[in-house]
Amino acid sequence: MRRITLACTALALAMTVAPALAKDYLLTGAKPDKLVLIDAKARKVEQVFTVPDAGTGIFTITPAPDGRTAYVILNQWESVAGIDLTTGQQVFRADLSSAGERVKATFAMDISPDGKELFVIESPVKLLPDQYQVQPARIAVFDTSAGIGAKPVRVLPAPRRTAVLMAAKDGSKLYALSWDIYVLDPKTGAELGRHPLRTWQRANFSAPDVLDVWPQWDATGIFSTPYYTARTDLDASNPDAFKTGLATLDLASGEFQTVDFESTSAIIFSSAINPARPTEAYGVYTTLSKIDRAKGSLLQRIELDHTYYTVNVASDGSELYVGGTMDDVGIYDTATFERLGEIAIPGGADQVLASLRLIQR
Amino acid sequence: MRKSWLLPCLIAGLWLAAPAAEAAQDEGPLLAERCGSCHQTTSGNGLTRIDEQRKTPEAWDMTLVRMVQFHGVELSDDERARLVKHLADRQGLAPSETDGFRYILERQPGVIESPPDAELATLCARCHSYARIALQRRTEDEWRKLAHFHLGQFPTAEYQALGRDRNWWEIASEQAPGQLAELFPLKSEAWDRWQQRPAAALAGDWRFVGHHPGRGGYHGTMTLAATGDDRYDLKLQLTYDDGETASGQGAGILYTGYEWRGRSEVGSTTSLQVMALAEDGTTMTGRSFLADQDAVGGQLTMTRLDASPQILAVTPGYVRAGEGRKLAIQGVGLAGDVDLGPGVTVDNVLSADDQTIVVHVQAAADAALGGRSVKVGTIAADQALVVYDRIDRLSVEPPYTIARVGGAGGAVPPVAAQFEAIAWQNGADGAPGTADDLRIGALPARWSTDNFDATAVALKDAAHAGSMQAGGLFMPSGAGPNPARPFETNNAGNLKVLAAVDDAGREVTGEGQLIVTVQRWNDPPIR
Repeated sequence: MRRITLACTALALAMTVAPALAKDYLLTGAKPDKLVLIDAKARKVEQVFTVPDAGTGIFTITPAPDGRTAYVILNQWESVAGIDLTTGQQVFRADLSSAGERVKATFAMDISPDGKELFVIESPVKLLPDQYQVQPARIAVFDTSAGIGAKPVRVLPAPRRTAVLMAAKDGSKLYALSWDIYVLDPKTGAELGRHPLRTWQRANFSAPDVLDVWPQWDATGIFSTPYYTARTDLDASNPDAFKTGLATLDLASGEFQTVDFESTSAIIFSSAINPARPTEAYGVYTTLSKIDRAKGSLLQRIELDHTYYTVNVASDGSELYVGGTMDDVGIYDTATFERLGEIAIPGGADQVLASLRLIQR
Repeated sequence: MRKSWLLPCLIAGLWLAAPAAEAAQDEGPLLAERCGSCHQTTSGNGLTRIDEQRKTPEAWDMTLVRMVQFHGVELSDDERARLVKHLADRQGLAPSETDGFRYILERQPGVIESPPDAELATLCARCHSYARIALQRRTEDEWRKLAHFHLGQFPTAEYQALGRDRNWWEIASEQAPGQLAELFPLKSEAWDRWQQRPAAALAGDWRFVGHHPGRGGYHGTMTLAATGDDRYDLKLQLTYDDGETASGQGAGILYTGYEWRGRSEVGSTTSLQVMALAEDGTTMTGRSFLADQDAVGGQLTMTRLDASPQILAVTPGYVRAGEGRKLAIQGVGLAGDVDLGPGVTVDNVLSADDQTIVVHVQAAADAALGGRSVKVGTIAADQALVVYDRIDRLSVEPPYTIARVGGAGGAVPPVAAQFEAIAWQNGADGAPGTADDLRIGALPARWSTDNFDATAVALKDAAHAGSMQAGGLFMPSGAGPNPARPFETNNAGNLKVLAAVDDAGREVTGEGQLIVTVQRWNDPPIR
């Protein structure tokens, strides 16, 4: 079990605390073309924006650092739109596919800390008359001021299977969650290092299974993802043969940690960390889990009334929000897990795979 | 209009009517016209990609449907039917190349595959059947292009649980094509030989015997009338073992010289037949199933009425020592006395003609237990009758299968599961599950379901997932979230399937497992 030192993290968090008057807003998507802005503490939908040419729905949502614009992957993963969160106008649009090449932005997207560059993973395939030719995965870098019809200003090589892109807080690195977490140079795409997941060397543990497509580090600047691993020295019937853990990456310090916290007894889709009590993480799917990531233990688990894919935490750490999947955002007290309320998505539209982001303004 | 092809009609493509023609049609011009704008002409005057593969009629139909749905090809139903025939006849598989994998064409439920190549099975058969690749032949370059198609069409393949534990794309595009071309090459002696065969002519009278799980056996005669280009109209008369008789009509097509795809209407029931014609041209074997519930069906054998005399079925295929019962022997050219071996005597011939002999038999209390031959005159069927004196256990067949929720306003209807209770007697060693066990046969049973495990108990699966009907037919519940269940989950479930029969005052039970799962949104002819 790995020990976690939290001093640096707490300091980094303290520096990211926003002005007292700023309010928390949640951003989620709903089928087929809605971007929903929620006043979290008021428990009400503030605005519903209709995104043009969204296809079947909204996927990853990346807010600009100033909270004025949100970039969304949509149109069956073939476009990125930037929506002004005051006017609802589409201020940025990049349609990734072109004649002869179909490009899917498979989940991963992030924005530079200065808000000037947008990083989008691309999985391209050339469409020849009688065959497809799969192309290497790549990261398209867009100038966020490019407006409608934006074209990449740079194209970087990328590891295949990248599901989350994360810009370091100082802009010096770009992290790509693939089989491992790759540390990339955001200017050139050069690999600067790697935080091992599939290539970890843990005696008597299998490579972990990780599929996390959820950017939920808004309140902390710490990415977290559940992982699942098997003890190769125990029979599969042994209750301790399968372990669930949490991998975390501090986007300010670059510190990467993994910690097992339970013998697997629930499925967790995604997770987020409490900014006020950074040892506490929350995992969600059909249950809501409270994880002590310093001690590597499960503190509390409750059943939810239905499946939620996403979780995010209020900037003061007092409450958390679960969303995705169906048509509501549930609100829970982080200390007690008491359900404090919910916010219905207008029209009963499902959120499905849309991110649940927290912005302040 | 294009979309309407997909769900309900997909499997029906091979049974589409096409205009009668006197001789095998060369649809080369149609192929060139419809496909040649994207597929370039090769030096051999063929078309790229198309010339580099051979496969079953179902697989060619799937390709055509994909070209219509994703690539804007416009094909009428008639043109689709003509092109499937053209391609399957000229670039099909030899009969031996389908050996061991016909279950996927026959849409047999509950098949657990045993792929011979574990590495390829992991790469390919986590998502679709191994049979799906094993029933194709391609060049190495063409197998590689298929890998490109996979990730190009399904970009999440390398993200999802069945692909992300490995460098799926690198393996699929670099290693697998060579392995596949070695296992399943475009050129084969078997195919070269098969192409030299004389044309099959199926017109005439056929005798058939089949088994419909949940109802029992049936037999009858069918007349095929040629309408040209391997197409036939059919008329049939059938009798169920329970005595009911019916007549029907339909049509069928012979692809690749041996792949029979028939469709019959009996009353309001439409059945499809997927059968293979034996090389001597006198017998077809395969499976018949309901057109709208392909899990409901069973094995079917058809033999030309003028084939050499043979016994096709004995129903029921069992008699209890010390008891008497009626037996029916079905066949062609039946003539002569019925001989059931020592200890089992025919005490009355109830009816007899050259196709059906019905007898009442008496098994002596000390008749030898086990399988025995049934003889009629000079012909015999091995192991066609079992003498038993006790039912020791029941097995449920299939022992492990799935049903799917559906309907309830959704686009996909529910998929039922059909079970049978098979009676067994322990062999001489007295132990169940050993090689000397005696398979007595299918018996009518009382059916029920229960929760399979603790998770199923907690979620009350047995109460929500569906209901077992008489005859072993499980009908799943409606699709969609169920507010009455934890997490508002759908009506999926993990169930024990329980069968019970009485044997001389004792209740004998058997158990299978049923996974009731979610809809299959894309249900192609080859899964």
